[in-house]
Amino acid sequence: MSTTDIAEKMVDRAAARAGTGRGGLLRRLATSPLGMAALLVDLLLLLLVVFGPMIWGAAAEEFDVDNMNSPPTDGHLFGTDSLGRDILLRVLVATRLSIGLALGATAIGAVIGLLLGAIPAVAGPRVGRAVVAVVNVAVAFPGLLLALFFASIFGASPSGAMLALGVAFAPGFARLTQTLTAGVVGRDYVSAARVIGVGRLRIIGRHLLPNVADTLVVNISLSAGGALLAFAGLSFLGLGVQAPSYDWGRMLFDGLDGIYVNPAAALAPGLAIVLAGLALNLTGEVGAQLVGRRVGSARLPAKPATGAATSVADGPDGSPGADDLVLDLRGLTVSFPRGRGEKSVPVRGVDLRIARGEAVGILGESGSGKSLTAMSVARLVPDPARVDVQSLTFEGRDLSANTSRELRRMLGTTMSVVFQDLMSSFNPVMKVGRQLAEVATEHQGIGRRAALDRAIGRLRSVSISRAEQRALQYPHELSGGMRQRAMIAMGLMGSPTLLIADEPTTALDATVQRRVLQLIAGVRAAEQSALLLISHDVAVVAAMCDRILVMYAGRVVEDIPVDDLLAGPRHPYSRALLAAVPTIQTDRSQSLRTIEGRPPQPADYPIGCAFAERCAFASEKCQQDPVLEPIDNGSVACWHPQQGPVPGVVIDSPAVVSRQRATTATAGPVMPSHEPSRTRERGR
Amino acid sequence: MSSLEFRNLTVTFGRGEKTVVAVDAVSLVVPDRTVVGLVGESGSGKSTLARAAVGLVDARSGDILVDGQPATTGRRRRGGLQMVFQDPYSSLDPRMSIGASIAEALPSDVRRAERRGAVAELLEQVGLDPLLAPRMPSGLSGGQRQRIALARALAAEPAVLIADEITSALDVSVQGQVLNLLREVQRGLAMSVLFISHNLATVCYLSDIVAVMERGRIVEIGPTEQIVADPQHPYTRELLESAPRLGEKIDPEQLAVPD
Ligand SMILES: Nc1ncnc2c1ncn2[C@@H]1O[C@H](COP(=O)(O)OP(=O)(O)OP(=O)(O)O)[C@@H](O)[C@H]1O
Ligand code: SF4
Ligand SMILES: [Mg+2]
Repeated sequence: MSTTDIAEKMVDRAAARAGTGRGGLLRRLATSPLGMAALLVDLLLLLLVVFGPMIWGAAAEEFDVDNMNSPPTDGHLFGTDSLGRDILLRVLVATRLSIGLALGATAIGAVIGLLLGAIPAVAGPRVGRAVVAVVNVAVAFPGLLLALFFASIFGASPSGAMLALGVAFAPGFARLTQTLTAGVVGRDYVSAARVIGVGRLRIIGRHLLPNVADTLVVNISLSAGGALLAFAGLSFLGLGVQAPSYDWGRMLFDGLDGIYVNPAAALAPGLAIVLAGLALNLTGEVGAQLVGRRVGSARLPAKPATGAATSVADGPDGSPGADDLVLDLRGLTVSFPRGRGEKSVPVRGVDLRIARGEAVGILGESGSGKSLTAMSVARLVPDPARVDVQSLTFEGRDLSANTSRELRRMLGTTMSVVFQDLMSSFNPVMKVGRQLAEVATEHQGIGRRAALDRAIGRLRSVSISRAEQRALQYPHELSGGMRQRAMIAMGLMGSPTLLIADEPTTALDATVQRRVLQLIAGVRAAEQSALLLISHDVAVVAAMCDRILVMYAGRVVEDIPVDDLLAGPRHPYSRALLAAVPTIQTDRSQSLRTIEGRPPQPADYPIGCAFAERCAFASEKCQQDPVLEPIDNGSVACWHPQQGPVPGVVIDSPAVVSRQRATTATAGPVMPSHEPSRTRERGR
Repeated sequence: MSSLEFRNLTVTFGRGEKTVVAVDAVSLVVPDRTVVGLVGESGSGKSTLARAAVGLVDARSGDILVDGQPATTGRRRRGGLQMVFQDPYSSLDPRMSIGASIAEALPSDVRRAERRGAVAELLEQVGLDPLLAPRMPSGLSGGQRQRIALARALAAEPAVLIADEITSALDVSVQGQVLNLLREVQRGLAMSVLFISHNLATVCYLSDIVAVMERGRIVEIGPTEQIVADPQHPYTRELLESAPRLGEKIDPEQLAVPD
């Protein structure tokens, strides 16, 4: 899977997570200059609609018998009509009727459309299919044709024309609503509401429509512009507003009669139509852009480093020199703006070095910055994040300065990513096998046939049965679990020097998890790839990696060889993580050990050790920031490093167990009695 | 008494040649006050079985009974079935306050004036601050969301609760909190629970009885200790052998490619 696709999906997901509150659209509208202008014109129109007829209504009816069909004069800026009435005043007064009718037609269309559109989502399959079919036929007719047809049915009157236009607009809205709600209806909260027994109408009103409202509102306001033009057209044709009432279309019609005497009589209402139409459209467009920005495409790559680039020196004693490193990342910081000049910094100064062929694991709770760290390496951090590094060298090339397309191509062939979560959508209209094969044909120049063979092989090794047939199916024809595995297979199509896998097996059952891990290990062995594996599951990371970094609150708190970790890590947080994994041997009569409390949010990381609030060993000293200091074969950031095996954790490795015995003999037990179960008692 | 029984349940998708039998004549009993764990590979039909029980998919044949009567869901009748879903990020309506989401599930005869109190009590019960009620779900952690989803299911006063992979989207440390909570609640309310998970360790930890599902069928069922100590079916044995153990290394050479 190419990194670009992933970035886009990532942004979609981030947008979905972010969700916006009510009124968010309006606020955002007001913050863009174009949106500001549109809002101003809208406001002006609104004032005219409300006050226009009150102020000038009578004056616009006054006959000036001396000045019939007069061209523009000082008294009449746009001249007068055939009865000597002032054109300008009439245009201003006509705003109410013109806009009102347009909005009325839009509203009728929207309501009918919304209802029609939401029915398939909640009705039984048969009714749903029928409604979809009807809408599909209706959408195929040109809107104006429909409007003319209905206008002649409903009769030539303002209300008839409004109804006609509304009905003509309905299919378009219905189709849009169908598409939007179809996306929401599969979500679990709609299922949950059904299981609770919430009625169909209520599901539409409370769960479906509010969640598609932003997009719908934008489209409705876009259509209002269209309705205005269409209505003017109907009136112009004599199908809409009839004298003595007048709207802009009607005035245009009347004005055309005297076009050679006073062109301004036609020009003024024409201008009004165009301006008001533009303003409505602009409001919609700007709104659409803003809504779109939330789910729009990511800009790649993330901001290059601004920090002082240090030279790539050899690592500290014992660690490999620059030549042996696949990846050398220093001083990584990722931050997100939070408005008013503030920012939150979810990754704060991470160093990551991976030797050629080495397997490094990152362990930590969600929110600890694991994924952002990995994404920074793959340069996949979405806007508006800001990525700063002191240096970032991959395969001997300085990635921190380079942002070219050539770089992206280089990354495409040398770095593979398996981001389970982010790849949650295949291209729905392309067969699974072809999508996988494309990775190999695009990045490695392998022939189509060979690529397809490899794709089928990969599918098979992620436990997809009848892989040849599955390869010919479309993504929606696979079960959720199968799709997930197919995506993993897609991430493993290349032959990378660095393979980054972020939670590749979460939510897979044990047998499949094992096969996927074996496949990753196999790809790694065959291609001599280095591996960066991210997981919150100690067992998985330990089974795959040579060295493990434990992250907490945006920092690496421990860097330790796997066997040392199993024998008993030094950092209290690492120890708690190790203890929290239930295994089949876990005692059923006891509550599970948990780490009470939550990790702090990036916006309010405390001063001092971020784990202090949850740490059983915290002391005064822990109010100062602990730094990562070498200890044994690794390093740890803690004022009171622990040692010895973690009680209650069964390690299935003779070598580790014998080492544990040796250390316990010298160090003695070090876990305080209150460290294990800290579960609160709850009543009832 | 509250028990859930599947009798010869079959669920299929599609028609004609493309028919997929997702659940194949499954019979399974969740006895009163018991936690039955359902474990199996992905695509084995676990979720489909759960969704059929609460009426989200139609069964082709067979019966779903609660205390011997055809199962009901919803807030009109107490003592039905309720379900907690897998993904805490998609199971709460982002546009609805936490309190409203829970209140929506309260039995319809609970008076307006009592609803607020009922919601507060439910939030307490799942270990959350009742002051959270007016807040929107955005910004809550996965664990908090899952607690709210549990509170919503409990609000309908179900006889049997179905939990479909409720911890698999959560962090290890939070997983423990949610599992501990589910166990507390189950014991406190003397509820029957069908606990579905692909994770054998959590299933074994929580369940009194374990049922193993493979390709739409229950291939083995028995008391947890017995399943762990003396598995009979080859698939159960494979599951137990594949369960991750701390300290063991993955060997790519062993990658057995199934057909
Ligand atoms: N809407 C559908 N159309 C066609 N087939 C389906 C549909 N939903 C599920 N299936 C099929 O039913 C079978 C069981 O699927 P189900 O999702 O219930 O399994 P599961 O055990 O919950 O898997 P997972 O752990 O992946 O969620 C699969 O073979 C799947 O392909
Ligand atoms: S520094 Fe202090 S608070 Fe932090 S982990 Fe170590 S002992 Fe605990
Ligand atoms: Mg499932």
